[in-house]
Amino acid sequence: MVKIDPKTLNTYAENTWCPGCGNFGILTAAKNAIARLVEEGYPLNKFTLVSGIGCHAKIYDYLNINGFYSIHGRVLPTAIGIKLSNPDLIVIGFGGDGDTYAEGTAHFIHAARYNADITMVVHNNQVFALTTGQATPTSERGYRGKSTPDGKWDEPMNPILLALTAGATFVARAYAYDVKRLTDIIVEAVKHRGFSFVDVIQPCVTFHNVAPYVKERMYYLDEAGHDPSDFEAALRRAREWNYNLDPDAKIPMGIFYKVEKQTMEEGYDRKVPYYRVERNVDWRKVIAEKRVV
Amino acid sequence: MRRSVLIGGQAGQGVAKAAEVLGKILVRLGYYVFNYRDYPSLIRGGHNFNVVTFSRQRVFSHDERNYEVIVALDQRTVETHRDEASDKTAFIVPSSVKAPNTMSIDVASAFKQGIPPIAMNVILLGALARYLGVPKQVAKSVVKRELKGDFNLKAFEYGYENGENGKRKVGKVPKKGLYFLTGNEAIGLGAIASGIDMYIAYPMTPATPVLHFLAAHKDKYNYTVLQMENEIAVINAALGASYAGAMTMVGTSGGGFALMAEAMSLQGMSEVPLVVYLAQRTGPSTGVPTYTAQADLLFALHVGHGEFPRVVVAPGDPAEAFRYTIEAFYLAYRYRVLSIILGDKHLGESHFTMEEGEFTPTVKPERFLVFPEGDYKSYEITDDGVSPRSVPGAISSPVRATSYEHDEYGITTEEPEMITKMMEKRLRKADTLEEAVLELEPLTVYGDPAAERVIVSWGSTKGAILDALAKLPDWKFVKINYLKPFPRSLFLNEVEEAKRVVIVETSSTGQIGKVISMETGFITEDKVLRYDARPFTPEYILRRLRW
Ligand SMILES: Cc1ncc(C[n+]2csc(CCOP(=O)(O)OP(=O)(O)O)c2C)c(N)n1
Ligand code: SF4
Ligand SMILES: [Mg+2]
Repeated sequence: MVKIDPKTLNTYAENTWCPGCGNFGILTAAKNAIARLVEEGYPLNKFTLVSGIGCHAKIYDYLNINGFYSIHGRVLPTAIGIKLSNPDLIVIGFGGDGDTYAEGTAHFIHAARYNADITMVVHNNQVFALTTGQATPTSERGYRGKSTPDGKWDEPMNPILLALTAGATFVARAYAYDVKRLTDIIVEAVKHRGFSFVDVIQPCVTFHNVAPYVKERMYYLDEAGHDPSDFEAALRRAREWNYNLDPDAKIPMGIFYKVEKQTMEEGYDRKVPYYRVERNVDWRKVIAEKRVV
Repeated sequence: MRRSVLIGGQAGQGVAKAAEVLGKILVRLGYYVFNYRDYPSLIRGGHNFNVVTFSRQRVFSHDERNYEVIVALDQRTVETHRDEASDKTAFIVPSSVKAPNTMSIDVASAFKQGIPPIAMNVILLGALARYLGVPKQVAKSVVKRELKGDFNLKAFEYGYENGENGKRKVGKVPKKGLYFLTGNEAIGLGAIASGIDMYIAYPMTPATPVLHFLAAHKDKYNYTVLQMENEIAVINAALGASYAGAMTMVGTSGGGFALMAEAMSLQGMSEVPLVVYLAQRTGPSTGVPTYTAQADLLFALHVGHGEFPRVVVAPGDPAEAFRYTIEAFYLAYRYRVLSIILGDKHLGESHFTMEEGEFTPTVKPERFLVFPEGDYKSYEITDDGVSPRSVPGAISSPVRATSYEHDEYGITTEEPEMITKMMEKRLRKADTLEEAVLELEPLTVYGDPAAERVIVSWGSTKGAILDALAKLPDWKFVKINYLKPFPRSLFLNEVEEAKRVVIVETSSTGQIGKVISMETGFITEDKVLRYDARPFTPEYILRRLRW
């Protein structure tokens, strides 16, 4: 058994998140989860993260594992490409809500369908933070940012509901400041064989601090007797909160739904990492396909 | 002697297949054949035609008029091409079609004998083979191989028996080592010969045939073909796949290429190797989707924000398409750069006859990976600007790729010193790449090297220019194979003493002229351009050169 101190997962990069930012909770939980998984036998050097662009994405600089700091909105296709190229890798995406639900919405829906064995952690602060506080698809109706001085007029998107209807095989919500529970959920998500989606409510202390609102209204699904194999129940629970900040909302946390399905790697019959495949193709034989005389 | 046959009909009538089979029959008889395919963007109806041009000498282009035979599967073919016919043109048609100089085949009786109407193309092919004097056994063996179903053989036989002899017999000259293929097939085979692991694409004419071709061959050569939700997904997945160690290529046309632009720049920063096939079609925008153009040259050369090295290579025929695809893989993986193979509809979807000796790959693509035991720097600063590449999970150290400016370990930086070092590392890599490309064949001269009249062109115009050059003894043709890195001094050597330098390009502005002046300072305003979405023919070039 390999035991690692989560601190060895630190890098020398200077952390530039605002003090108190929910991202710290996610970083700590990610390190704890990786340490625990390594103890259980997952090889450390197979962990590969993919991040988008935004405050959340700086996690790439703060985690001392393989990483691809991709571009805004493109975490999922990048992660899928990595997984199909080398199915041995344990691929974890870290995206923002702007990243995943605005710029990359199409990828999100299709990733749920493809069911590649990857994990997607969304740092959902309901705001474009790094660009200084504009509304995202998950911002509540009425949110006043610099681009919506009169308040956002449109209804928020419910990513849990979207993921469920798009066919995701593991759908969960977590709270960034509950590091213990978040750690457990990330561990579960990584272990799940298929596309695991975790929407993490991540208070942004500077532009969208929902901590007081969420803390009062959240509850854990497993404590409420929810059966994560029951799709209809998952849909009902998902509808309990629509991401508006209504005073009487209840916010379920934990695993909404979990099911086993064929993975994308199985669909494409991918087993051996391509980098280990020795091809030695003879170009003369290849071009001979088109020889007539 | 150059001879041409036009075969036309509605989409769905099997015009293209009949022309391809005719081409293969003629190659079997030792002919050089060029098969041009012209089709609008629809699935049924409309008007499709192919022109099959053949000769005992090399031929790389088609004709636009004076066909020896027009095979018309429908009346519209006759009406559309009547003006292109000469007095001598013979028309081979089914009984329902009216035309001058007609050899009419009673297809209705064939259908009564149980030959299905979809085989009308093969019936007329049989009649055409008879007219051209093709030995029946040779033709039948090709038909048997190329067209599944016994009824096709029966249809061919019926057409042959009910046809008439023409004046000239094609005869047979024993030849060995002839290949008949399209540019797209050659690019697919080049990718396979390069050891491709993953081809990722979203359908878009005229790149789609590569997707189909590679999908059809994937089990034989054990690689993955993946169609994703859009081109943005395609290219980002490709970068992910390549980062993790797969030899990866994507293919698209202008619109999809535009969607990929942001990630091409990510290639530049992350230095994750990538090969992109850009099959040009007529723009702007959706334009004329199934027709040809060379108007994305400047786009390919400049795609992606910021400054980073890249390869843009333009094949002119399938032998080059095969070779340059292999070189594109080699350069991308050896130097961690973006390689763009710049083709178009005309190269991609026309069949060319190539000789064995023309397939001349000079390099062997590899993954070019290192597996250090201890510390590893994903972006190590080196003299040649190329950082040794490893892949995640293969070594104990983390392997990183990033869109941000970074230090040697791939950690984000905003420090001016480190930014300068990394910019200069990539600049040195551009120099290293340029030297490597000079070792290949970035420019080719055809015709008399001392000629003072020069045609300058690139890509798929090669065929029509070469065929025109046979009639231009005091001209030479300077073909630029690598548009980036541009062979500056090689080019200047060829034009400095010239009396006339004419640009030939399938575009309305002559983009290669701009590229040349930008790269070398040499300016010419002498241009032969074509922008009716059709490819050049030799006759068109000759006419325009002697205006
Ligand atoms: C294509 C593109 N558009 C816009 C941006 C600018 N941009 C950088 S971060 C960001 C918002 C990020 O929001 P989110 O994904 O929610 O991350 P957060 O900062 O909230 O963690 C945007 C729009 C970009 N980098 N790329
Ligand atoms: S702006 Fe918000 S999300 Fe970004 S670091 Fe600060 S608190 Fe965190
Ligand atoms: Mg956000």
